[in-house]
Amino acid sequence: MERDDAWHLTDDLMVEHGKGDPFAAAIRATRMAMIVTDPRRGDNPIVFVNDAFLRLSGYRRDEIMGTNCRFLQGADTDPNAVRQIREAVDARRDISIDILNYRKDGTTFWNALYMSPVINEAGELLYFFASQLDITERVDAQKRIQHEKEHFEREVGKRTQDLTEALAAKTMLVHEVDHRVKNNLQMIASLLTMQTRAIVDPAAREAMKTMLTRIEALGTVHKRLYQSQDVRRFDVAEFARELASDLVRGSGRAGIGLHFDLEAVEVPVEKAPPIALIMNELITNALKHAFPGEAQGLLSIVVKPDGDHFIVGISDDGVGMPREVLGNRSFGKRLIESLARQLNASIAWQPANTGARPGTWIDIRLPLETATSRETA
Amino acid sequence: MSEPLRVLIAEDEALVAMQLEFLLEDCGHAVVGTADTAQGAIRLARETQPDIVFVDLQLRGGSSGLDIVRTLRDESDAMLVFVTANARRFSEDFEGAVGVIAKPFSEAVILDTIAYLEACVRNPPPTMDAPLGLNLAPDYRAQMDSLRD
Repeated sequence: MERDDAWHLTDDLMVEHGKGDPFAAAIRATRMAMIVTDPRRGDNPIVFVNDAFLRLSGYRRDEIMGTNCRFLQGADTDPNAVRQIREAVDARRDISIDILNYRKDGTTFWNALYMSPVINEAGELLYFFASQLDITERVDAQKRIQHEKEHFEREVGKRTQDLTEALAAKTMLVHEVDHRVKNNLQMIASLLTMQTRAIVDPAAREAMKTMLTRIEALGTVHKRLYQSQDVRRFDVAEFARELASDLVRGSGRAGIGLHFDLEAVEVPVEKAPPIALIMNELITNALKHAFPGEAQGLLSIVVKPDGDHFIVGISDDGVGMPREVLGNRSFGKRLIESLARQLNASIAWQPANTGARPGTWIDIRLPLETATSRETA
Repeated sequence: MSEPLRVLIAEDEALVAMQLEFLLEDCGHAVVGTADTAQGAIRLARETQPDIVFVDLQLRGGSSGLDIVRTLRDESDAMLVFVTANARRFSEDFEGAVGVIAKPFSEAVILDTIAYLEACVRNPPPTMDAPLGLNLAPDYRAQMDSLRD
């Protein structure tokens, strides 16, 4: 009968003992690199290597038999991995670890090392058994993926930063243009104000003042756009509050009260000027015609969403609109109708019937167009 | 009518300065001077001791209305009011100015502001509310509110 350790003597002695043992034969022949070390000898030397290990490491059998496995380590081997293996050896436990190893020719390979102690029934540590699997391709692939991922993330980050900067630059540019528009509107308003002072004819003076309120309404639009954070959206409700307050003050009519019923309605910027001009005409009209003499009265402004539309309502409790005014084609009325067509708005003029006097209620419905505005946003 | 207000205008846009001047004179007040640089406005303010200074932010030669306000708030009793198209560029305390009028302003806002400031100077606290177009500094609003109580 062969000794228990005949297979290792086989290597020791370079003879073919133990070849009757099918397990020893399998270990010799397998494509998996395997070694056995003997911890009972000094420095835990290799006592068995199979051919697969020789092919993997590039060493000859006689170069490594009897030596410690550390010849597999090199400059780039992770010292922590080495320490973990040594700790497993000292503690006599299994370990599975990926470690960078070196061949005889100095080239490296990633080694999926599995090492396990062999302990006999008496609890004595006999050997360490280790198998090595070259997983260089897998590790390289992982590193490549990691590298590509990092590269991709860097590129995305850079691109995001570029876009953020581009947006900031664009916003600044829009504000700058806005700023110039505002200054020019201010100059036009100044010119109109000053020219009006010099006019004595009441009708001409009135026309100039009407023109001034239109310019001022546009000025208010641009002022509000500049003050808003979003350069693409315009809140009709808050604009209505400022415009109506301004017009009532500007009319010098202390007896006219204002009532607001406002909910936020945002429209795309390009809709703001025509909406502003329509509201300006209607409020100016009401102030001019609804309350003759120094009559007192109340002007109500409604802005609120209504499904896929929104409502702008301007009503007064004044003397009501005579039929001939409703049917006439004054410049102001034609202006309103043209702008309404541009906005796809419908305008209904009707008696308000809210108080003692008939009053006038102008009901405007405009499409909200939130969908298109989001696309352009 | 109370004694006319003495007003200084720091504005580098000649048309706007002229319009403010006209509106103030229409209301019976005296424009003691107009300047288109910060240095000019500070010098004029020291010479004329105005009640009110209207201050544009961007002045000629790259000078800034902020310098006018920061100088005059400590050495003069004048009420300082920004009139600017850059109404968003202020810190919360308005640098010591009592308020800001954003350009483009309407005639109504200027007339109401003049009436409001007149009440502040001659007969504080004013019985009227500050006009919508005049954005009062929180400090000043609190000061006027405390006078009212």
